[in-house]
Amino acid sequence: MKYLILGASAAGLSAVRAIRQLDAGGEITVLSRDRQIYSRCLLPEVLAGRKDPGATRFVPEDFLERHGARWFGGVEATRLLTGEKAVLADTGDKFTYHRLLIATGASSFLPPVENIRKGRQVYGLRNLEDVEAISAAAGKGRGAVIMGGGLVGVDAAAALNERGVSVTIIEAAGHILPLQLDRRAAERYQHIFRKRGMEIITGEMVTRILLDGDDNVTGVELKGGRTIPCALVVAAAGVTPNISLLKDTAVETGRGIRVDEYQETSVADIFAAGDVCESLEAFTKKITTTPIWPLAVQQGRVAGWNMAGARRKPLNNFAFRNSMEFYGLPAVSYGLTEAPGPGYETFTRESGESYKKFILKNGRLRGAILQGDITGAGVYGALIRENIPAGATGEKLFGLTYADFFNQLEDGSFIF
Amino acid sequence: MLRILIKPELCAGCKNCQVACLAEHSPSGSVWLADLSGGHGRPRNSVELNSRDLPVPLTCRHCQEPECVTACITGALSKNPATGLVEHDQGRCAGCWMCVMSCPFGMISPEALEKKTAVKCDFCQGRETPRCVEACPTGAICLAEVSPETGNNTTPGEAPKEEGLH
Repeated sequence: MKYLILGASAAGLSAVRAIRQLDAGGEITVLSRDRQIYSRCLLPEVLAGRKDPGATRFVPEDFLERHGARWFGGVEATRLLTGEKAVLADTGDKFTYHRLLIATGASSFLPPVENIRKGRQVYGLRNLEDVEAISAAAGKGRGAVIMGGGLVGVDAAAALNERGVSVTIIEAAGHILPLQLDRRAAERYQHIFRKRGMEIITGEMVTRILLDGDDNVTGVELKGGRTIPCALVVAAAGVTPNISLLKDTAVETGRGIRVDEYQETSVADIFAAGDVCESLEAFTKKITTTPIWPLAVQQGRVAGWNMAGARRKPLNNFAFRNSMEFYGLPAVSYGLTEAPGPGYETFTRESGESYKKFILKNGRLRGAILQGDITGAGVYGALIRENIPAGATGEKLFGLTYADFFNQLEDGSFIF
Repeated sequence: MLRILIKPELCAGCKNCQVACLAEHSPSGSVWLADLSGGHGRPRNSVELNSRDLPVPLTCRHCQEPECVTACITGALSKNPATGLVEHDQGRCAGCWMCVMSCPFGMISPEALEKKTAVKCDFCQGRETPRCVEACPTGAICLAEVSPETGNNTTPGEAPKEEGLH
């Protein structure tokens, strides 16, 4: 069996490992646009100067060798030829396969803003090359504007702030991290960020990037008319799956590549996993992209097993979970951040650096935020994911542990 | 594989297991010298009251398909293929808390003092009997040989032995 894997990040390498568990002799080839293997989640650490690029590798040095996989770094797949079961690369080479995994990830989405493609100092924060480019531009001083106050935007802002760059975050919603946190938890971060000298502008959008005669960024103009001078812009308005190689193929796509619970696409022998795919998400029960690391690893594993001939489904496909830490304040959240209407009960508690919030519907948890004290958070996540009755309400909700749900199998495993 | 089995009905709630864990992971290793007021951090196990106010000893299961390992963005967490133990390399940990977010049982936590890295049960790193088991006076936690083939924490059907990305 000849396996071809496009992408050498969480999903791709997880698939290599899973294939090797079941098929000792198959030929595994990995192509990746990345020239290095690194964890994208750690890029803010590199940007902040806390980690060297080399320290972002998330697998041992000999991982590919040990798993008998050939890896071609810096090689981008540009076209898929489903008829002859081959992939064309930007090097002009053609790679054939029996089973293909597309794990090409996603790219920074560039919102429709005037001059966004023209400006020379407009970057995403997605690749190691982005970090190098931002670092070079940030060295010139004069400040940075971050378009989007989601996790990537806030990560970029905190990293640049740590380097002494003056940073302004522009967020369209009423507070930063609108998908991850409620207003209160977000305000607690905003308070810290402002004390550290960051500017945060909410309820606003960048409409134009201001350029000089050589297309160098000089500032941004906001919808409300205000202009903010800056030397660079980081676009952190979400990501878009890398699916251009599927042009003129029968592989079904929506926002990402549509896959079933075995990670198989609409075309036989072609699988997809990680940020590039869209699948049935467990919390919303909708087909969506699921761009979080744990699901990329899990989907890669499931794809690998099924490519190697097993028929296995994932543990779960729960994407509505987040973890973060800024300036020593950690937070974890799951599901809803606000009650979306009547029929929900909300319980909050705040003391010192700890803030907790639980959203219940019919005795079941639908949302949880833990900020400050995150110990034991995963139990709340499991209750939301598995839709298990919380068995508690009011004050008792704040003290739930696995002791309340204890159930041990013969081999010592816990189950809910 | 050796695992710690829990018999809550035998637990007296004495928390000897927690003191033992704290001592084992303190500089001296001694119960007499361990700082129980928090100076040596928190134990990696716990005894929690359930909804009927009965004590339940809890410690990491070293799951067959560990969600903490799946969630780890740095490679700090891995499942040792030889021992089946879920190991955490503190030196690689970035303190991103994806593992804390992902363990359905709440068995991995931020280290209590520095709060920069996660910390979890290490099975007392090769000690013949984990210190908590040794300290339990009632047999509520005991060491037992279990077959890794007999099940998996939350997956229906069996999955091959998982070793993380290592």
